[in-house]
Amino acid sequence: MPVTVEVPESVDGVLGALGDGAVVLAGGTQVMPRINTGAHDVATLVSLRRAGLAGIELAGDEVTIGAATTLAAVGADERLAFLRPVIESIASPSIRNLATVGGNLFVAPPYGDLAVALLALDAQVDVAGPAGSETRGVGDVGDLPGGHVVTAVRFALPADFRYTKAMRRRLNSASIVTVAAVLGAEPRLALGGAGRKPIRSAAAEAVLATGPLDRERAEAAGRAALEDAEPPTDAYASAWYRARVLPVHVRRALMGETA
Amino acid sequence: MRSRVIELTVNDEPREFLAPPGTTLLSALRETLGLTAAKRGCAQGTCGTCTVLLDGDPVMSCLVPVETIDGAAVQTLEGVGGERSGGEASGRDRGELDAIQAAFLEGFATQCGFCTSGMIMAAEGLLAENPDPSREEVVRAISGNVCRCTGYESIINAILDAAQRRAAVVR
Repeated sequence: MPVTVEVPESVDGVLGALGDGAVVLAGGTQVMPRINTGAHDVATLVSLRRAGLAGIELAGDEVTIGAATTLAAVGADERLAFLRPVIESIASPSIRNLATVGGNLFVAPPYGDLAVALLALDAQVDVAGPAGSETRGVGDVGDLPGGHVVTAVRFALPADFRYTKAMRRRLNSASIVTVAAVLGAEPRLALGGAGRKPIRSAAAEAVLATGPLDRERAEAAGRAALEDAEPPTDAYASAWYRARVLPVHVRRALMGETA
Repeated sequence: MRSRVIELTVNDEPREFLAPPGTTLLSALRETLGLTAAKRGCAQGTCGTCTVLLDGDPVMSCLVPVETIDGAAVQTLEGVGGERSGGEASGRDRGELDAIQAAFLEGFATQCGFCTSGMIMAAEGLLAENPDPSREEVVRAISGNVCRCTGYESIINAILDAAQRRAAVVR
């Protein structure tokens, strides 16, 4: 089915163009493969490229990243150096030059590692829609109704961020399990490969909150994470395998160990 | 659903053409502008054989609707090497290879050749930003480019060789 492409120059223009059969096009790394098969029901692609949604702002500790900011731009920003391991664990440079922060919230597992990190960061997602703007949690944008568009993600710079992604290959591979954590008085731990979308593990967080981080506590957090996990089976790993290795990777992420 | 006039700077030359709705950059290059170095492999962003430079950055041209990049600068393998002045056609017509092409040729880094143009454009993007890359940085730069002949070692060596050739010229 042939597809029309709109390239509005404002968020209002984007909302105006999001009619029936319209799909938001950010970097294109998820939408275009579907379009290129020819077997799709998309009538219109509404591009965010000129809508003024790219850019990274830092006000005090508060980071705001425009939805159409590329993963490459995030990875190149010295102020966000803590996110570089996350960015570099995702796809390849030529994909990261297109793929966007907003788009990463909508890719299905075993992809979407930045969304795991954003969940651990307790990021807020700004959404524009016909009835105005609203703010949602990272976990609540997957079922965004039609006619809405993510405009930005916001989070506080973390004091202590941990991350690991287990892959079949060292580079450019989907996630077996992904672990992101922000340590502190109220620790947060998020998992990819532990459900149909990224999840927070309340059980692991409760273990981490009981005292200072050491290997024993990290291992206990890994075991606790299994309580919240319902790992899926896909072409990369079985549910059984993911459950077996999840505690190990939780420990590795927390202790900063490499494989 | 009407075609649109698109203006791009392709290999340093202004080009203007009509694009039917939904045309990808890859299709525009190959079918409208006759620049067939970028290949259509998977059309999923997985193989990298359609890699070109978009405003200097390597991207998968099969993933970019050309209507979204009106006014952009695109570099393809045809614009690599040779003399590109005076509105003449590509380096291919002038026959002079650039350092990366020469290193691929002399280092036997091309087997079937299907991945080569994408590999070279990924390498062009890398060396423009980082003229003296480590082996690991080369591996990362081509991590989106698949060579199904599996000739990666010679490709990595050729890119490292090309960096040295360019450094030698600058000196």
